[in-house]
Amino acid sequence: MILRRSVLAGALASTLVLAACGSTADSGAGGGTGAGGVKTDKGVTDSTITLGVMGDTSGVFKNLGAAINAGNQLWADDVNAAGGICGRQLKLEIVDHGYKADTAKTLYPQLEPKILGIVQLLGSPVLAALKQNLIDDNVTAAPASWSSQILNNPNIMMIGTTYDLEQVNGLAYLQQQGLIKDGDTIGAIYIDGEYGGNGLRGVQYYATKHNLKVQEAKTTSTDNDLTNIVTGLKGAGVKAIALTTTPGQTASALAANKALGLNVPVIGNNPTFDPALLKSPAAASLDKLYVAASSPPFSSKTPKAAQLATEYKAKYAGSPLNAGVDVGYVEGLVWQSVLTKACDNKDLSRAGVQTALKSLTSVKTDGLVAELDYSSPGSPPTRGVYIAKVDPAAEGGLTEVAPLFTAPEVADYKAPFQT
Amino acid sequence: MSDTITEAPPSVPRPVAAPKKRNWIKIAATVLLVLFLVALPILTGSQVAYLKVAQYILIGTVGGIGLTLLVGQAGQLSLAHPFFLLVGAVSYAVLAGDPAESPGLVGLGFPPLLAVIGAVVICGLVGLAFAPVAGRLRGIYLGVASLSLVFLGLWLGQSLELFTGGTSSGRPPPTFELFGFAFSTTTPAPTIAGVPIQKQQRLWYLFLVFALGAYFLARGAINSRIGRSWRAVRDNEAAATAMGVNVARVKAGAFTISSAFAGLAGVMTALWLDLVKPDENEFTGNYSLTVAIAFLAIVIIGGLGSVPGAVVGAIVVYGLQQFFLLGANQFGWFADAQFGGLSAVILSAFVYGAAVVLVVLFEPGGAAAIGRRLTSRFTPRKER
Amino acid sequence: MGTFVQLLVNGLGKGAVYALLALGFVIIFKATEVVNFAHGSLVLVGGYVVFALKDTLGWVPAALLGIIGAALVALLVERVFLANARRADPNSLALLTIGLDVIITEEIVRRVGAAIPFIGDPYDAQPLQVAGITIFRTQAIALVVGAVLITAFLLAFRYSSWGVAMRAQAENKEAAALMGIRSSRVTATAWLVAGALAGVAVLFMATQDFSGAGLGRGTHAIALIAFPAAILGGLDSTAGAVVGGIVVGLTEALSAQYISFEFSKSAVFLVMLLVLVIRPSGLFGTKELSRV
Repeated sequence: MILRRSVLAGALASTLVLAACGSTADSGAGGGTGAGGVKTDKGVTDSTITLGVMGDTSGVFKNLGAAINAGNQLWADDVNAAGGICGRQLKLEIVDHGYKADTAKTLYPQLEPKILGIVQLLGSPVLAALKQNLIDDNVTAAPASWSSQILNNPNIMMIGTTYDLEQVNGLAYLQQQGLIKDGDTIGAIYIDGEYGGNGLRGVQYYATKHNLKVQEAKTTSTDNDLTNIVTGLKGAGVKAIALTTTPGQTASALAANKALGLNVPVIGNNPTFDPALLKSPAAASLDKLYVAASSPPFSSKTPKAAQLATEYKAKYAGSPLNAGVDVGYVEGLVWQSVLTKACDNKDLSRAGVQTALKSLTSVKTDGLVAELDYSSPGSPPTRGVYIAKVDPAAEGGLTEVAPLFTAPEVADYKAPFQT
Repeated sequence: MSDTITEAPPSVPRPVAAPKKRNWIKIAATVLLVLFLVALPILTGSQVAYLKVAQYILIGTVGGIGLTLLVGQAGQLSLAHPFFLLVGAVSYAVLAGDPAESPGLVGLGFPPLLAVIGAVVICGLVGLAFAPVAGRLRGIYLGVASLSLVFLGLWLGQSLELFTGGTSSGRPPPTFELFGFAFSTTTPAPTIAGVPIQKQQRLWYLFLVFALGAYFLARGAINSRIGRSWRAVRDNEAAATAMGVNVARVKAGAFTISSAFAGLAGVMTALWLDLVKPDENEFTGNYSLTVAIAFLAIVIIGGLGSVPGAVVGAIVVYGLQQFFLLGANQFGWFADAQFGGLSAVILSAFVYGAAVVLVVLFEPGGAAAIGRRLTSRFTPRKER
Repeated sequence: MGTFVQLLVNGLGKGAVYALLALGFVIIFKATEVVNFAHGSLVLVGGYVVFALKDTLGWVPAALLGIIGAALVALLVERVFLANARRADPNSLALLTIGLDVIITEEIVRRVGAAIPFIGDPYDAQPLQVAGITIFRTQAIALVVGAVLITAFLLAFRYSSWGVAMRAQAENKEAAALMGIRSSRVTATAWLVAGALAGVAVLFMATQDFSGAGLGRGTHAIALIAFPAAILGGLDSTAGAVVGGIVVGLTEALSAQYISFEFSKSAVFLVMLLVLVIRPSGLFGTKELSRV
C-alpha cells in the first residue's frame, strides 16, 4: 500500500522534475517596445519573429500536411533571404498533432508562449478544440480549412474561398458547360462535419437558385466504400454528383459512377482530390471529376505556382506532389502582408496583428488566390475559384479549365456569419 | 490484507482492501502524495502543457476506475465506456448550457455543479437502461454487444445536433462555477508562490477533487456489501444466487455505477477540451473505439478490479503519449518521425500494447499485484 | 427494382468476405475459447506481404506468400504468447490479443506509410455487366473462393482427423486429452488455418471494389465489422459464421439505401444486439448452461 503510492508519487515527481528542468527562458515574454520603436509582446524579439505551425504529418492528412508545411517553410526562407520583415528574421515553430484534437490541446500551451501567431492550423477538429484558446490568447491563425462556418472566430484569418463557394462556383461551371440544367436531380455526398457541412450548404444554395433536387448522403471520413450510395443515386436518376469527401471516397464514388454505368459529371471541393488517386485502381474512372479550389492546381501555368512547383521539387525531392505547397506558401504571403502592415503601424503585438489584418482590403498573392479583403469579418475574403479537371498527364494530376472563375450566383450568397 | 470472502479465480486478482491497522509510514506517504498533487500547478509553473497532461491522466483515472469496477469486480466485459463519456459530456453541456449563448441548441441553464451531478445521474440511468441487455449476456458476447453502443453514440451524436452541436463545430461546454468562483482565467488572479492560479490551475484542482472522490467512493464500494456481491456474481452466478444475491440486480447496479463514473470522465473531457463535439468517425476522436480499447488497456495494466491499479494504468495509457509528444517538441525526440519513422504516437502505442501483453503473460494481477508484492516485501507482515 | 437487386448483389459479395473473416474467429474460438482480437492485424500482415512482394515476384506468388505469412504469424502468436500463458483463462488471453493487435497494427501501418496500396490487381475495378446489374469482379471471385474454402473447411471439420480432434476438444478438453488428442497441436492448427483465412480475405478487402481503400487502418477496421458477423451467428458455430457474414453484408447494403447511409454501420450492430437479446449465444451458438 505505502509503496504503491510512493512509487506512483515518484513516477509523477520524476515527470515533473523533467518538466521543470525543461522550462527554459522563453517564459519571460513580456510586453515592451523593441528595435525600431515597434511595440511587441509574445513571439517577437529584436531579431526574430516566431510563428507557429500546427500541422499534420502523421495523421490522415499527412500527404497534404507535409506539402503545406513545406510551402510555409519555402515562404519563410524566401522572406529571410530577402532580409526578413521589420528588420527581423522569421522562425517557424512546427508541431505535428496528427489530426487529433486532444493532442493539439496539449501541444498548444507549449507552443503558445513562443509565438506571435499561427501560419498554419490544420484540421477542423483541432480548430474547434482550440477556438476558445485562440480568442483568449488573441492568437491570429490561418486555418488549413476553408469552412465559412468558422468565420465567427475573429482570430481566424481565412485564406481564399470557402467550401460553400467552391461548390456554388463548381455547379455553376457545370451548368455553363451544359452538363446540368435547371430542374435536374443531383447527388450530394458529404462527410459529416465542418468540411462536408459547409460544402453541402453551397450545394443547397445553388439548388434553390436553380430549382435542382438534391439527393443528400452523409458519410464519415472512414467510410471508403460509397458503392451503395451511388447505387441509390443512380436509382434516383441524378445528372451530376457534388462531392465534399476525402480523396479515398472520391475514388470510390467515381469508380462506382463508372462501374454502375451512371457516368455523370462530378464536382468536388479542393480536398476531394489527391494525385495519389491516379495510381489507384480507380484511375480509369476519374476523368469525370472536376475540382473547384481556391488555389491553383500543382500544374498551373500561373507563374508563381509554376515557380513554387520547381522549388518544391528541388528542395523536397520525393515528397508528395500536390497543391499543399501553394496553400502553405500563400498562407505565408498573407501573413507577410499583415506583418508588414503591423510593422508600418509600429505594433507587432498580437493586438497589433489583429488591427493590421482588419485594415487590409486587397491582399495580392501573385495570383495564388484571388484578391483578399479582410475588412468584413464573417464574410469569406474572396469568392473566386480555380476549376480544374483530372488529367493523368498533368503533374499533380489536374489541368486548369477555368482560372479564377467567379460565378454570378456567388455575389448574393450569404455566408453563415456574414453581417 | 483482504477481507473478501470468495476465492478469486487465478486470473482475476483479488481486490485490494485497505489494511485495518494504520501505520505512520503509510500516513506520511499519503500526506506527501497529496501535498505533491496539490503543489503540482506550482511545480509546473509556466509549463502549463505538463499540467494539461496531468489533467488528462485524471480523466483516464476516473473513467478507468469506473471500468475496473465493472470488468474486474463485477466480471462484466464492457467496451461501451466511450459512449457513456459522450453522454456525460453532452448532458453537462445541455444541462448547464445557456440558451442565450448558444442559440439553436438546447440549454437548460442549470448551475454547473448541478449539471455535473445531473450528467453523472443521467449516465447512470442510461447504463441502467442497458442493464437488461447486459444481464442476458456473458463474457465476450457482452463485450461485443456493448461495442454497439459506441456505434449508436456516433450516430446519435451526428443526428441529435440540437443537443450535441453536431460534428462540425460542436458546442462549447459552459464554464464550471462553484458559488460564484469561475474555473476560468480572470484578472487579477490569485497566486500561490508566484504562480498565478488561472483556468488550467483551477481545472487541475477541480479534477483532483473529482478523481479523489471517485477513488474513495470506489474503494468504499469494493469494501462494502456491494463489492462483495459483485465478486460473488463474478465468481459464480449460481453460487451467488444460492447465497441470496439477486444476480440481475447486482449486474445492473454495477453497470449503472460504472457508467456514472464514465459520465464524470465525460464531463471532465468536455472541460479539458473546452469543447463538446461528437466524433467524426468511429476510430479517431474522444468517444471512439480507440478510447474503448484504451480504457480496457488501463484496466488490464492496472490489474483487473484494482482502483489504485487504474491510476497506474491511466498514467501509462493516457499520460505517456501526451508526455512523449511534448518531449518530442521540447527535446527533439523522434526527429525522423515523418514518413515512417518512430513517432511519439506509435511509440506510446507500442508501450501500452506491450504492457498489456506482458501483464497477461507474467503478472495477471497487473500493476496492483506488483505493488502488492513490493509492499509485502517492505512491510512487516502483521496479518495472514 | 434494379436498385434493390444491385444492393443485394453488393451485399452478398461483401458478405462472402465477412464470412471468411468470421470463420477465422470461430475456428480459434472453438479450439481454444479465445476470441482473437488480433484478427484484424493478421489481415494486415497478409496484405503487407503481398504489397511488399507483388512488384518483384508477381501477384500470384506474392498472394500465396501473403496467405502463408498471415498463417505463420498467427501460429507464432499462438506458440509464443498464448501457449506460454498457461495460467491465464480464455478471457485474459483475449485481452492479450488486444495488446498484440495494437502493436502489430501500428507497425504495419507505419511500414505501409503513405502508400495505402491496393492489392487486388488481377480482378479489381473490372466490373461485369449482366442484364443491367453490375457485378464487381472482386466480389464475384470472393464469393466463389469463399464458397470453396468454406465447404472444404466444413468437410475437413467433419471428416478429417484434425476436424474430429478439434470438435472433441471443443466439446470437452479434459476428455479429449484423455483420449490421446494432443491439445497443443489442435490449437496450433486452428490458429494456422484462421491466419490463412485472414490472408485470403485481405486479397479481396484491400481493393477498390470491396472497401474503396487500400491496405491501411481501414482494412483493419473491416475485420471489426466481421465481429458482429461471428457473434451474430454464434461464436462456436461454423455455419453461423457463414450466415452471420451474409446477414451483415445485406444489412449494410440495404439499410444504407432504405434508412440512411450513416445509419448502416450502427444497423449492423443493432441487428446483432437484437439477435443477442433473443438468443444470447447467437443464432447457431451452443447455449451455455450453468451447472450448479
